[in-house]
Amino acid sequence: MILKIAFRNIFRQKRRTILTALAMIVGFTLSSLFIGWSDGIYSDIISTFTRNRIGHIQVHSEDYRDRPSIYKTIRDYEPIGETIQDISGVEAWTPRIYAAGLGSVGEKSTAVQVVGVDVVRENIATQFDQKIVKGRLFSDTTLNEAVIGNKLAKILKAEEGSDFVIFSQAADGSLANDLYKIVGIVESGDDITDRTTCYLNLAAAQELFVLNGRIHEIVVIVSNINHVGRITDKIKENLNDSALEVAPWQEVAKSFYTAMKTDQQGDAIGRFVILFIVAMGVLNTVLMSVLERTREYGLLKAVGTTPVQIFYLVFCEVAIIALASIVVGAIFGTFFNYLLSVYGVTLSEEMTYGGMKFGTMHAEVNMRSLIIPTLTVFCSAMLVSLYPAIKAARILPAKAMRTH
Amino acid sequence: MENTQQSDVIVSEDVTKVYDPDGIPVNALNGINLTIQSGEFTAIVGPSGSGKTTFLNIISGLDTPTEGKVWLAGKVLSEMSGKELSDFRRDNIGFIFQAYNLIPVLTVRENVEYIMLLASVPKTERHERVSAMLTSVGLEGVEDRLPTQLSGGQQQRVAIARAVVSEPAIILADEPTANLDSKTGADLLEMMRELNTETGMTFIFSTHDPMVMESARRLITLRDGKIDSDETK
Repeated sequence: MILKIAFRNIFRQKRRTILTALAMIVGFTLSSLFIGWSDGIYSDIISTFTRNRIGHIQVHSEDYRDRPSIYKTIRDYEPIGETIQDISGVEAWTPRIYAAGLGSVGEKSTAVQVVGVDVVRENIATQFDQKIVKGRLFSDTTLNEAVIGNKLAKILKAEEGSDFVIFSQAADGSLANDLYKIVGIVESGDDITDRTTCYLNLAAAQELFVLNGRIHEIVVIVSNINHVGRITDKIKENLNDSALEVAPWQEVAKSFYTAMKTDQQGDAIGRFVILFIVAMGVLNTVLMSVLERTREYGLLKAVGTTPVQIFYLVFCEVAIIALASIVVGAIFGTFFNYLLSVYGVTLSEEMTYGGMKFGTMHAEVNMRSLIIPTLTVFCSAMLVSLYPAIKAARILPAKAMRTH
Repeated sequence: MENTQQSDVIVSEDVTKVYDPDGIPVNALNGINLTIQSGEFTAIVGPSGSGKTTFLNIISGLDTPTEGKVWLAGKVLSEMSGKELSDFRRDNIGFIFQAYNLIPVLTVRENVEYIMLLASVPKTERHERVSAMLTSVGLEGVEDRLPTQLSGGQQQRVAIARAVVSEPAIILADEPTANLDSKTGADLLEMMRELNTETGMTFIFSTHDPMVMESARRLITLRDGKIDSDETK
């Protein structure tokens, strides 16, 4: 019967109910949009960052990540790669060679990062071929071809067909230098990479640095980024080689990950402000409702309703409005997040984050954008209704029934 | 109080109530000593501000005395917790108010049923008793209406039905006929007399209505918070 009274009170005070519900619906929708939008942006950033640069999981020789060196290599990488590929959830893997050197075109020289890639595997793993903005990828006929970042091309005033000389140190201690023809220019969307990196065919890089079939890194791409932890553990277990280090992207790019997490915590302040406004709105309307119905609560107590039942009555009214508002808010939130995930918002100026440029931002439809607002809107509504509910439960019947 | 009798339903001992709303103490009741026995049909009368309603509120546990004690059905009200008082009122007291005070969102049937629901009376018994009660107070056909869809007389009938349906020992009626025309008031008063005679429930009225005073078998007059006279007819 208390529940029945609560239901009927909700419909009896339509204007107040609508006001309370509106505060919750708007709060839920804004909060959901806030999370969906923020998660969408971070997903874009993570996806670009991992797909373009570091992959989802990396395998190195022991200690390579802490102190990278041309000498810390992985031998017989093919069987290792095959073992990784067999793990469920792994989409692709690709070997890489890294070395620092000096790159020159004509009289222009600059420090470059030389990356040796297996073009076929790299195309599958990171869609390397789609980053070519000018020219082409390496041919099968010669090893003396290079592809460089578009910003590096600008620095070196290089273009397709330019001669490109690399000076570096080989793994046998000798001087590594060779002449390459620039056959393509790439744009990865990662500013730092595009400014510093030149790519060689894996075999060409092995020859230049005298690596004899060895590599420095295996990059692993997984089909669902949320399963990175599990897959990392599985790779470690299956490889079972203490000479190899397996690390997820969060460890590989720790400072990037930490900066992003800090950014996300900043978003929580925004969500808190929204919910605080919602909570104040709910407190105001519920408190007004309780004050308006003081006489009724007095009557209910007079005829034998216990203080706990009165408390429950107020609580139920708020809970019913909150649940209904959450359903409506979830529909709105999901709808707007979906629209933003499909169409996105094109920025008037490109935004740079972690060296990567973003022109269009997309929201994301995910469970977080529903669960967090559901919990926070419901809990904050229930929390602020405590005071009016206690106030109603403690009403003195004789005094309450004197009010009009 | 050691010497309360089995038949003493209400005993008030030196009950005093002081209101202090604006820092100026006002004595609403000044040491009321009174015993009301089971089955009485008693009217408490007196001019406005004499303390009638305050006394009814205190003997029902709706308000607390500043000093003194009240025994109701053998229990000291001031020693009970909020929940105990609620349960006690539910089981022992029926209220009839001047302004009817029905629960506005509940239908006639639900208003009458409400107290029995609180007392966990089984559904079948509840429905039977409500139907019988509504018939006896002449409310057949309006069971599913809301209080706002009823006349004043009908609302007071609902209030009477709600007060007596759970067969409490005491019915407290605060100016029950004040908002009714004389014919309706007379009808309802007659109904309450019949209930008093048939069931032995104790009826205590606070009233200005000469008709109620005439019907009452005991007339207690309050003046300035004190008992001015106490006559049994």
